[in-house]
Amino acid sequence: MSVPLSIALVFRGRALATIGACWLLVVGIAAIGAPLLAPFDPLEIDPFVRLSEPGWPHLFGTDHFGRDSLSRAIYGARMAILIGSGSVLIALVAGGLVGMLSAYFVRLGHLLMRIVDVLMAFPALLLALVLMTLLERSVLNTVIVIGIVYATTTARIVFGMTLKLKRDVFVDAAICSGAGHVSVLFRHILPNLMSPMLVQASFIFAFAQLQAAALDFLGLGLPPEVPSWGNMLSEERIYVTRAPWLLIFPGSLIILSVFSMNLVGDALRDNIDPRFKDDIAGV
Amino acid sequence: MLNYALNRVLTLVPTLLAASFLVFMFIHLIPGDPASILLGDTATPEEVAELSRELGLDEPLWTQYVLWLGNVLQGDLGTSVFFREPVLSVIADGAETSVLLATMTMFWIVVFGVPIGIISAIRHGSWVDQATSGGAMLFASVPTFWLGLYLILIFSVGLGWFPSSGFPSLADEGGASNLRYLVLPSLTLAAPNAALIIRLIRASMLDVSREDHVRTARAKGLHPVRVAIRHVFRNALIAVSAAFGFTFAALVSEAVVTETVFSLPGIGRLVVQSILRRDYPVIQGVILIIVVFYMAINLLVDLAYASLDPRVSLK
Repeated sequence: MSVPLSIALVFRGRALATIGACWLLVVGIAAIGAPLLAPFDPLEIDPFVRLSEPGWPHLFGTDHFGRDSLSRAIYGARMAILIGSGSVLIALVAGGLVGMLSAYFVRLGHLLMRIVDVLMAFPALLLALVLMTLLERSVLNTVIVIGIVYATTTARIVFGMTLKLKRDVFVDAAICSGAGHVSVLFRHILPNLMSPMLVQASFIFAFAQLQAAALDFLGLGLPPEVPSWGNMLSEERIYVTRAPWLLIFPGSLIILSVFSMNLVGDALRDNIDPRFKDDIAGV
Repeated sequence: MLNYALNRVLTLVPTLLAASFLVFMFIHLIPGDPASILLGDTATPEEVAELSRELGLDEPLWTQYVLWLGNVLQGDLGTSVFFREPVLSVIADGAETSVLLATMTMFWIVVFGVPIGIISAIRHGSWVDQATSGGAMLFASVPTFWLGLYLILIFSVGLGWFPSSGFPSLADEGGASNLRYLVLPSLTLAAPNAALIIRLIRASMLDVSREDHVRTARAKGLHPVRVAIRHVFRNALIAVSAAFGFTFAALVSEAVVTETVFSLPGIGRLVVQSILRRDYPVIQGVILIIVVFYMAINLLVDLAYASLDPRVSLK
């Protein structure tokens, strides 16, 4: 099936998910074109226009340093995409590998899955907090930490799915026709896992946004000078009564993006192999 | 059943030991000498030397771990650098707030989540279902602290119905009426978790309603509401109970944020503040206790699940 056709199938009759996908496209465009789209420098401080209301030329108003909120929000889209895709990449590669290898090599699986169990004994945000305590506040470290947190759940899900696939006839057929372990795992099993992993990726992308925003809010996420939606909320929260718009814009951006990603994930999930549907929880 | 229970407890022991080892290693992974880290910046060289000897820092790592575990099992989690008090009593001070907050949150989750989930399953496909499912997903997409801030803005600053921060103990002046301090925080905490429960109840009720015994119940002419509650919902609850451990983990994570927003003197805020104060013994102690609690709850959930659904323990 061609790609445009399968995309059309996923979104057919799902107006909300389609709008969500369009919104994510807008966020993506804002992220790529931030330097062109942002009317001001997101870091430029102007004490004369502190906490000014939304209007011209500052459409989203300004924060307590006089920085333009709209420009910060546009650059924030960069961080959102970076954190989302970075943690998805780490979670899927690390979690996927651990899950597949554990299911395929039973002895190794006993060991690896116990390690996953141990990491999962820590509630998600708590694990992230502990890891952030040990590391410096930086964009890369935040991505790594969130990636590790979701790698554990991904490993468990992929483990379950690979176990199901391993019993299938096509795996026996591949082994009989002389395929080695690497070939069976990556040429025969992995392609079957691709679409459920795409669904998992969309949910991780959504959760990672909330997780990163929470870390920013607690002062343990991205460095404070980085313009991210979470940092915007965190820095301006004491001005909530004087300048409520400073929290409405970044907050709505986070909610819209997470909601959209969840909707897209939901739409994708309805189109994957029904055997795997229950493996991926989502929201 | 007894075999299953015993088996579950036994497999838990190595995981618990490994998790406690990770918590123990936390102090060693921080750059610097563990004894000076545990005592803070104000400690004298003599105190540091004394503690090093006590912790056995010149011994191999596993001896140190055994020493530490021995202390922990006797209830000695070390001394807080900031409070100059035993870690256990610092944590105990936060327990009242956190336990009451969790209880109140669970109350909202049950009061709002269960009926909405049932209605959305009974009327699945209708606009009611689409609105509640969509609404639930929307609530699960809201950052906890953002919701908290706006609840404060509307109900404390605007309407003045509830206090915006802090929580005096129930033993203090005001007694049970102090619970009003927890209304907004518990609603904040309940929102994303109720959303989760709504979607879960809906999904598992739809699963159960496709089973033969439900068709039989309908065929013999039982009232649809009776079928939905007695035949479908009760069976669906089994799957829902299995998610309780997950809900607990979500509650702990979000309580850290919520308690910070509302400045509640609970265990969640204690973690954040201890991290900012570099009060490592407290961080270590809280995490150990939460992990033990979480594992105990997962164990209870598994056992309850097995006794509700005999097929589980026979596997």
